[in-house]
Amino acid sequence: MTRVHADIEALKGFREALVRFRYAEREVAERADDAIEATRASLAAKASGWQARLEQDRAALEACQATAAQEEAPADCSAYARAVQQSAERLEQVRGWQQRVDQDASEFRGTASGFRDLLETSVPRAENQLQAAAASLEAARRVEAGPG
Amino acid sequence: MYGRPDRDGEEQLGLLGSAWENTAQHWQDGVARQFETDHWAPLAERSRAYLGALRTLLDMLETAERDTEF
Repeated sequence: MTRVHADIEALKGFREALVRFRYAEREVAERADDAIEATRASLAAKASGWQARLEQDRAALEACQATAAQEEAPADCSAYARAVQQSAERLEQVRGWQQRVDQDASEFRGTASGFRDLLETSVPRAENQLQAAAASLEAARRVEAGPG
Repeated sequence: MYGRPDRDGEEQLGLLGSAWENTAQHWQDGVARQFETDHWAPLAERSRAYLGALRTLLDMLETAERDTEF
């Protein structure tokens, strides 16, 4: 490649790099959305699981307390009570994270939307600008070279 | 096999930055300076902002998963 055409080749090369960047970052943005949804689904499943476990533990505690009320020597239901408390705490922790994920994902959505707009509008505009600049340089070189 | 999207995105931005440095060595007229101001600089800045926000978000998502594994 002659030095006089190095700028044109560089422009074309950068335009191709921009196209690759646009496609690659679009995929990054899609995977980011997938990651958010995957975590939401995971936390929803955990919340559902701990809700069911809490109801089960509460039923076991109530059964123990009912039995204790009927017997002369009171049964020890403290283990059931501890299980209820632990399930409730874990459910609360999962729900806390659900709220945090919803809030942070919502805030992130604004930045993500701007980035998608960049990829869909600004980057193609830059690609067109490079194409036009390369064409302009090529036309100027043809004039400089003269006929023949 | 995919890694974290923020890291892949940063790698892509790094590659594009290297491509721009190479281009800027050969393309140094007024149009080039205008392109840098109007297109390249905002693109790089907004991409870095997005990828930084994504990194923070993904760190939080990983923590959420870890903190709810009982």
